[in-house]
Amino acid sequence: MLKVIQLDKTYGSDKHSLQSVDFTAQPGEVTAIIGPSGAGKTTILRSINQLIRDDSGQILLDDQDIRQANKAELRKIRHHIGMIFQNYNLISPLTALENVLHGRLGAKSTIAGMLGLYSDAEKTEALELLKEVGLQDYAYQRCDQLSGGQQQRVGIARALMQHPKMILCDEPIASLDPKSTKIVMDILRQLAREKQLIILINLHQVDIAMEYADHVVGINSGKIVFTGPTSDVDDTVLQNIYRQTDTSESVVSANEN
Amino acid sequence: MMENSQPKPNIIQPSAPQPKRVSLVTRPRKILRGVLLGLLLITIYSLATLNNANLNLAEAFHSLGVNLSAMFLHPSVGQDSWQLLLRALVTSVSLALLTTLLGALIAFFIAVGAARNLSPAWLATSIKAVMAFIRAIPTILWVLIYSVVMGLGASAAVVGLTFHSVAYLVKAYSESIEETPQDTIEALKASGVGFWPIVFQAILPSIVPALLSWTFIRFEINFANAVAVGAAAGADDIGYFLFMAGSFYFNFHEVGLIVYLLLGVAIILELISMKLRGHYLKQTN
Repeated sequence: MLKVIQLDKTYGSDKHSLQSVDFTAQPGEVTAIIGPSGAGKTTILRSINQLIRDDSGQILLDDQDIRQANKAELRKIRHHIGMIFQNYNLISPLTALENVLHGRLGAKSTIAGMLGLYSDAEKTEALELLKEVGLQDYAYQRCDQLSGGQQQRVGIARALMQHPKMILCDEPIASLDPKSTKIVMDILRQLAREKQLIILINLHQVDIAMEYADHVVGINSGKIVFTGPTSDVDDTVLQNIYRQTDTSESVVSANEN
Repeated sequence: MMENSQPKPNIIQPSAPQPKRVSLVTRPRKILRGVLLGLLLITIYSLATLNNANLNLAEAFHSLGVNLSAMFLHPSVGQDSWQLLLRALVTSVSLALLTTLLGALIAFFIAVGAARNLSPAWLATSIKAVMAFIRAIPTILWVLIYSVVMGLGASAAVVGLTFHSVAYLVKAYSESIEETPQDTIEALKASGVGFWPIVFQAILPSIVPALLSWTFIRFEINFANAVAVGAAAGADDIGYFLFMAGSFYFNFHEVGLIVYLLLGVAIILELISMKLRGHYLKQTN
C-alpha cells in the first residue's frame, strides 16, 4: 500500500506546488490523479520516487518511508517502482528487447550493468513480457520504428521487468490515439488485477479516469480536493476539481506539460 | 496620423511633413565597411612597397612550372626505395590510428565528466576550460614539448598527438552526450539504475553514430598531423622522408611521389568515412 501523508512542496519563496497532500493507493487498484494543468499532478508522481525532492511529509510504500532513504536505499526502492512516461522515454536506437531488459539494470552490479550482461532467464522473461503486451513479433525492432502505442507497451514491459510493487504512470496516454489508449489502459488495469500492483496514473482525460480508475484523487492548486472511489465522483465533484483558480494563486509546477 | 479622427479645434495641425532621411546602414554594416576599407588600404600600401628582389616574373613562373612538372609529372622514389617509403607510410597511418584510438578511449571518460547533464557544473566547466587551453596550442607544439621531455622519436609523437586528440574529442564527445534527451536518462534513474550503467547502456548507444563520426574526423586530422609531426619529432614516418626529400636532397621527383601517396591515403580515408556515414544513415531511417 502506498500512503502519502502531509506532503508539501514549495518552489521559490511562497509558490506552493503541493500543500498537505494526503492519499492512499491500494494494490490491485488503479488510482487516477486528475486535476487541471499545473495543479501539481506531475509533482506528486515525481515526489513519490523522489525524482523531485519535496519539502516535508511522509511517503510510505509498504510502511517504508521513501523520503528517509539514503542514496543506496533509494536506488533499491526505485528499482521496485516502475515508471512510464508520456513520451515513453525509451532508448530509441536499441531494440524493444534491449529496452525491456533495461528494467533489470537497477538490480545489477555496476560492472554487469555497464556491460549489459543479462542471464538467459532474464532474456526469456523479457520475451515473455513482450508477449504479454502483445509485441512478441517486434522484439528485435529498433524502438524508433515502433508506433507510439507500441513504444508505450515496451515501456510497460520495461517497468514490469523491474518486478515492481507499484507503477507510476505520468500521462501515459496523452500522446496516443484512442485505439492505442484503450490497449494501454486495458493492460494497466489487467496488471493491477492480476499482479496486485499499485497503479498510480496522472490523467487529464476525465472520461478515461472514470472508465478505468477504481479510485480517484482530485487535485486543484496543489491541494487535494477529492479522494474516494470512482463511483463517488459526480458533476459537483468534477466542478470542484476543475474550478477556475485565481491566477494570483496559481501554482508553479515543474515538468508539467 | 489624424486622417481618420475628427479634427479637434484646439489641436494645431502640423505643417507639411518633412521627408526624413532614412538610413539603411546599420552600425554593424558601418563597422564592416570600415574594416574592408582598412584592409584595402593596407593591401595597396604593401603592394606599393613590396620588395621584389629584382625578380624576373616570367623566369620565376617558368621555374615554378619546371619544379611542379618534376614533382607531379615525373614522380619517382629518388634515393629511397619503394619498400622504405611504403613502410614509412604505414608508420604514419599506424601513428594516426594509435593516437586516435588511445585519444578516443581516454576522451570518452573525461567527456562524461565534462558533460553538463551528467556532472556537477563546476567539474564540467573546469574540464572544459582545461581542454580548451590544450586545444588552443597546436598539436605540433605539444609534440615538440614532449620531445623535450621524452627525447625526439616516435614516443614523443604518440604522446603529443594523443594529448591534443583527447582535448579535441572531449569537446566533441561531451557535446554529443549533452544532446541525449534528459528524459531517457531520467527513466532509467527512476528505476534505480546507477551512474555508469546509465552511461554505457543508455547514453553510449544513443550517441555511437556521433562518436564514430567525430572519431573518424579526428583520425583524418591525426593522419595529417602525423605527417607533419614525423619531420619534427623524427618519428621515421613519411613526413620525415618528405622533409628530407624536399629540404635536404631537393629531390622534387620524390616529393611528388610522396604527395601522391598521401593523396591516395586521404582518398581512401574519405571513402571509408563516407561508407561509415552511409551505413549509419541507413540505420536511422
